[in-house]
Amino acid sequence: MGDANSALTPAETKHLLRRTGLGLTKRDRRTIARNRKTRGELVDKILRFKPKKVRFKGDGLDDAVDAWLLHLWKTRTPLAEKLVLFWHDHFSTAFDTVGRTGLMTKQNQLLRTHAKGNFKTLVKAINRDPAMMEFLDTVRNRRQNPNENYARELCELFTLGVQDLLGQDNYTQDDIVQIARAFTGWRYAVPERRDEPDYERAESSFDPDRHDFAEHYPERGPKVLFTTTGGFGPGGRAFDADGEGAAEIDAVIDILLDHRDSTGKNTTARRIAYRLLEFFAHPEPDLAVVDEVVAASGFDVTWSIEALLRAIFVHDAFYLTASAAPFDGAAVKSVRWPADYVIGTTRSLGMKLKIEKERGLRIEGGSGLRVRDHLEDMGQALMNPPSVFGWEWETAWLSSATLLARYRFARDLGAAREGRQNVLVPKKFINLKLTDPDAILDAVLGALGIEDQLTAEERDYLLDYLTDGGATTTLDLKNDEDAVAEKLHGLVALALQAPAAHLN
Amino acid sequence: MPLSRRQFLKRSGLVAAGGFLGSALPGPWLERALADTIGDRYFVVLFLDGGNDGLNTVTPIDDGGGTLRTDYEAARGAGVGGLRLAPDDLSPQAVAADPATGAALGLHPGLADLKVLYDLGKVAVVQNCGYPRPNLSHDDSKRIWRTAAPNGSTDSGWVGRYLAANYTGTDIPAAAIGGGVPGEFEQSTTSVLTVRRVRDFRFPYDTRYGSDIARKRAAFAGLHDVARLSGQPTIAHIGNGGTATLLSTEAYPALHDAYVAARPSWNEAYSDNGSSVANDLREIAKIVYGIETGAPSVHARFFQIRNGGYDTHSDQGGADPNAQHSRLHQEVASSLKLFYDDLADLGVEHKVCVVVWSEFSRRVPQNDNGTDHGSQGPVLVLGGTVQGGVYGTHPNIAASALDNSGNTRYSQAAADPFRSTDIRDVYGTILKHWLNMPHPQILASVLPLESGDPDTRWTTENFDLGLLT
Repeated sequence: MGDANSALTPAETKHLLRRTGLGLTKRDRRTIARNRKTRGELVDKILRFKPKKVRFKGDGLDDAVDAWLLHLWKTRTPLAEKLVLFWHDHFSTAFDTVGRTGLMTKQNQLLRTHAKGNFKTLVKAINRDPAMMEFLDTVRNRRQNPNENYARELCELFTLGVQDLLGQDNYTQDDIVQIARAFTGWRYAVPERRDEPDYERAESSFDPDRHDFAEHYPERGPKVLFTTTGGFGPGGRAFDADGEGAAEIDAVIDILLDHRDSTGKNTTARRIAYRLLEFFAHPEPDLAVVDEVVAASGFDVTWSIEALLRAIFVHDAFYLTASAAPFDGAAVKSVRWPADYVIGTTRSLGMKLKIEKERGLRIEGGSGLRVRDHLEDMGQALMNPPSVFGWEWETAWLSSATLLARYRFARDLGAAREGRQNVLVPKKFINLKLTDPDAILDAVLGALGIEDQLTAEERDYLLDYLTDGGATTTLDLKNDEDAVAEKLHGLVALALQAPAAHLN
Repeated sequence: MPLSRRQFLKRSGLVAAGGFLGSALPGPWLERALADTIGDRYFVVLFLDGGNDGLNTVTPIDDGGGTLRTDYEAARGAGVGGLRLAPDDLSPQAVAADPATGAALGLHPGLADLKVLYDLGKVAVVQNCGYPRPNLSHDDSKRIWRTAAPNGSTDSGWVGRYLAANYTGTDIPAAAIGGGVPGEFEQSTTSVLTVRRVRDFRFPYDTRYGSDIARKRAAFAGLHDVARLSGQPTIAHIGNGGTATLLSTEAYPALHDAYVAARPSWNEAYSDNGSSVANDLREIAKIVYGIETGAPSVHARFFQIRNGGYDTHSDQGGADPNAQHSRLHQEVASSLKLFYDDLADLGVEHKVCVVVWSEFSRRVPQNDNGTDHGSQGPVLVLGGTVQGGVYGTHPNIAASALDNSGNTRYSQAAADPFRSTDIRDVYGTILKHWLNMPHPQILASVLPLESGDPDTRWTTENFDLGLLT
């Protein structure tokens, strides 16, 4: 049994940096080589960051996505941005429905501000987030005919889950109806700036005249939740205990986060821990591990996301998949998210991303697609998740259509171009003095950070390619432009198309 | 439980053979005659994502011998924000009456193009489709419709279990037009292709070094051969998916050119339509045309497409052609009509069966100007040999008959004039009469019966609904 005081092997250090980072940068590789810190010490260092601000310029969604991607590429605290991606998926909100870029960037910043903060505070902020209010119809939830859209997803996706981890229902339809009542009367106002609406500064507001007060609708019963689940007893819990009106939507969250599942454990704490374990550690985590990280962090009491993350990152379960290929069946590998695959690769290879006027964010020197178009083809159009459920993870990322998009991205990175048109600058990731194909292959795989993900057999196929089936015994990277433009670039593309490149 | 990929490979001796991909196209595997099941037919699934309002898809025009129209008007308002469809809008769209109450029924006016096909006898309207204990979550209800397993006993799809029983590893019997494998096709025995546009489905080689391409292909194929045999399901998935993708990139793009050259006016008609449903159906038309004209190495006969936007909690709209729900109906109806006409012109409409479904219908009483999540709704089945008409009975939408949430109830009671059609009877009818799966095998390997109260559970099958014979 390891814990926060356990030493880290280089493989474990690498695993930790890979999972909490975006690609393995030169700095990461130095850390892997030299690390003397314990799990707890290195995790504390990784978790020590302050919320940044992304400067969103321009006014279209494309500009906003590009600014976010540029920030992802630049960041020195990649875990912060991985968490923003996680919460963007968790509180999935799509521009196609919201329709205002300013509301999307405002929400994006909200997720960044609270990324490792207090989960309860985060959910309460999401309650009043104008983009979410648009997306799930809070602004169209009228007391005459309450609209259940937000109430249902709040329970199903943001907090409890339909069923607990043992398959028991967590709430009833009546609970949804009651919660919908609490959200009546909420709107948001948009201030003007130079005669234009400034959506980024939109603020929610409460209009008591539009709120569902119990006295007006006696047939809807008392404002009470969870009379049959949650461990509150047959009386349930009233969400107007502190008075009716604006306070109800906070009271609803307090109650939701007090909800106990069929075994008496905190329902939401378990579910969020499960999701974070799935995201950072491996698919289908053990229930025992879920409970251990919740207990170790006190997440069900303090709701500190940072504490929960620390408990996950120092837990043995996190290092289950840290070993090198070939992988045994027990430690199920995860699939890299498209954002990680694209941004991580450009960071690992020392490529430069740049926003070009009218042309969007591209890899410097590249003639291929915009970065955001690559991501969209891979099934991750940022700020436009497919639905309120967010994205489907793991192998669902990899259909033939999205695999082909990954192959295209790899080809575009590797595609050889003359002179300064190269997007791939070999000296940034490989020592040009190398001549032995074996050593060159190791260097390329090392730069991509995937050398431990390939079996010897897979590696042989790459070596076979590099040496034209053994015909070439040395490559002159320094002087032979063709060797570089054809074989080295081809090798990078092929390695990025290899199954190992999609594993986390 | 279908064979896992690894089990299959071991049993078939493919492990020992190994590396077939690296050497040449696996002709014998891809060309392997399709089992005598779907034969020379095609099967298309169109999914209406978000929960299509069934009550404003097939709508009571009058009460007949019951109260359906009266109940409808009580639940759906007229005037601003009202969703009510007037008898005048519905009468030109009349289909057969509700068999139980005799109430006249009409299709939403936005479905006018579908009504043309209905009048040709090519559209079956299957009413009141659902499953026990309706689930109001999009995600859960989709999963139930797709797995046909309300108890959550399996993750595989109902079409997927059929595919798994009839196809093997490197067969590519199914294609989804879009980005991901749809749940109804899910299984781990055979490959499902996902293609956005067949024209663009090419393997991205660096064309500047053409002489290097053969080497790249060999290495790519070898890497994925290794992965296919991994004991890690994730890695095996990537190996299998990469292999199927590579092989298909060598077969599918030519289908586009062939279709556009041979059928320019049809190609243009889809472009003129412009909706995403039409564009996706055109991709299916290209594949069908390719197979019919003998294109090599193309075998997909199962297709899936989706249309989104049906989660009409607000601003749903009524008969107004510019209203949200009406526009969705128009897109679907005009696209399906075009697809049907294209196939009929090609002389293969009798080989194609299309099923249109949604994860649930919507709340009977409307909210302010939309509808919340509901329960049973209509399924549409169309094709050249479909027996057109209305099947099954309308759900009971009287306020007193609704459940606590305001939704219609699921019932299997034989004497109930509002008896529901279980989705498994729809699927079973398709499996038995379109895909030629033996009745006992359907029960044994695709759609196991439930136990329990026969009035509220699916304990007796009816795979002979009559819409396919």
